[in-house]
Amino acid sequence: MRQISSRFSLQWIDSLNYSLCKLVSWFTLFMVLLTFLIVVLRYGFNMGWIAMQESVMYFHGMVFLVGAAHTLRVNEHVRVDIFYRGFTPEKQAKVDIFGSLFLLMPVNLFIFFISFDYVMLAWKILEDSQEAGGIPAVFLLKSLILVFAFTMVLQGIAEVIRNILKLSQQKHITEEITE
Amino acid sequence: MEYLSLLMFLTVCLVLLLGYPVAYSLAGTALIFAGVGALFGVFDTSYLQAVPSRLFGIISNQTLIAVPLFVFMGVMLEKSRVAENLLVAMGQVFGRLQSGLAVSVVLVGMLLAASTGIVGATVVTMGLLSLPTMLKQGYSPSFASGAICATGTLGQIIPPSIALVLLGDVLSSSFQQAQLNMGIFSPRSVSVGDLFVGALVPGMLLVGMYLVYVLIFASRQIDQSVNQNISDKPISSIGLFSALFPPLMLIFIVLGSILAGFATPTEAAGVGAAGSIVLALLNKQLALQKLKDVMMSTTKVTSMVFLILIGASIFSLVFRGFGGEELIAELFASLPGGVFSAVLLVMAVIFLLGFILDFIEITFVVVPLVAPVLLAMGVDPIWLGIMIAVNLQTSFLTPPFGFALFYLRGVAPPEVSTSDIYRGVIPFIVIQLTLLVCLAVWPNLVTWLPSLL
Repeated sequence: MRQISSRFSLQWIDSLNYSLCKLVSWFTLFMVLLTFLIVVLRYGFNMGWIAMQESVMYFHGMVFLVGAAHTLRVNEHVRVDIFYRGFTPEKQAKVDIFGSLFLLMPVNLFIFFISFDYVMLAWKILEDSQEAGGIPAVFLLKSLILVFAFTMVLQGIAEVIRNILKLSQQKHITEEITE
Repeated sequence: MEYLSLLMFLTVCLVLLLGYPVAYSLAGTALIFAGVGALFGVFDTSYLQAVPSRLFGIISNQTLIAVPLFVFMGVMLEKSRVAENLLVAMGQVFGRLQSGLAVSVVLVGMLLAASTGIVGATVVTMGLLSLPTMLKQGYSPSFASGAICATGTLGQIIPPSIALVLLGDVLSSSFQQAQLNMGIFSPRSVSVGDLFVGALVPGMLLVGMYLVYVLIFASRQIDQSVNQNISDKPISSIGLFSALFPPLMLIFIVLGSILAGFATPTEAAGVGAAGSIVLALLNKQLALQKLKDVMMSTTKVTSMVFLILIGASIFSLVFRGFGGEELIAELFASLPGGVFSAVLLVMAVIFLLGFILDFIEITFVVVPLVAPVLLAMGVDPIWLGIMIAVNLQTSFLTPPFGFALFYLRGVAPPEVSTSDIYRGVIPFIVIQLTLLVCLAVWPNLVTWLPSLL
């Protein structure tokens, strides 16, 4: 029963972060098109808006802060894999469980709690852009830090569950063989 | 207690070797040290209060917005086969020469480097496309794999490279800091554009040296008995033009607008990325699914880069909190031989770290720690940046840990042995070290061009 519920939360977290990543991946295209448009308008027509420039920054922030969790899921955050590559699957799973619990979780919980007041302060004054004519939503941009830490904590939980399941499956297999 | 910063650095190196993602190995270890340090009253936790504003600084950094745009351009050119067509066309142009294929590999490597700037992608693309062809033409496996690995690493140094964007951003803040520390309150600045200009002469010099080597030795490396001349197909000049002209034009526009000072690197990257979409459309390679693939890979690569930046900034805050910077400054000051030995030491350390860390990590972790001290000693920031870039490029090529070698090993056919690859890169390592010495002896090679603009 417990296994079923942990599998369920694993799938739930994975698919949540995957959908978020798919969503923000469109923003890379928006960034390209917006930047191109900005250049054309500036050099071709001598026009430009601060808000338009800042919108590229908003998309940029969302891309890497929201996309990071799914990137962890598909194992595309760089590792120093000189030794890791040669480890057995069980040993790799153990490294990942250790790392998720003692490196990833503390860092993201730390980022969440230390940034909480910082973000709340921005909300309290509904912080505006420092530039005249900028996007008046700096408080939302800052909130992305909390979204990042939260989705990473979720993905960290998912990775711990996944690797524990992996280890228990491995154990089953070896038990069956020895029987 | 300053020695705790050194202990932390060594511990991080050990934790990294476990193989958990780099960003969290850096930040996690640093936080554990900070926590224990705070318990014993040797760490001032107010340093950590700076974390939120650091994170926001990363989000709102205008220069770094160039990164996803350049990544988008590179991935698009790779997935839409523009790169592949370029290589095939070049092979046809030079196919009639005895050493033609090797020459075209070097030239295409340079162009790919200039357009994608991603070492892994360049080595893999060229390894898949030209290694089998070179072997078929009778090139020895070691010569062929050496040429491919070496030209694949050109992406570090030939502008517009992502590596130089990151390095430029870090160096510009280090330079500001160094001048403020020296009491200069109207500091000069150094930009990503300056670094691009500075990289031009050394980059061309390196390509030139590769070409000379290839021209001299390629014919000796070809086994005539298996030499089947496969490029006897008549070259259609229209096909050739359509393969060569668009990517060359794209590189010209991107680089030209930055160098001429029309556009910031970020703007040029946006134009280049938009151009890559147009090229993919012209190549009839832009189905919706492919576009989605490009967007997804861009998102993942960008997240990867910026997560390391986040981890490294937490690490360096803690390192500073333990007084690590004073320790480095004292160490450099106590070295006999002054600036020269300080630079030599930094170069040696970076070379060694290049075995286990990628360019991004070294740029974000090591450079911010050592650059302010070196720059305060009077080292030219552009020169330092290019020296670091060439140094790392050499490191990525050096057996047994060089990254480029792993990438090629991953795609090389089984008849190419790992020791072939190792032997093949040695001449290119010698060439790169020669360049490094030349740049050290004649810094004007780097600083001359930027001083004109």
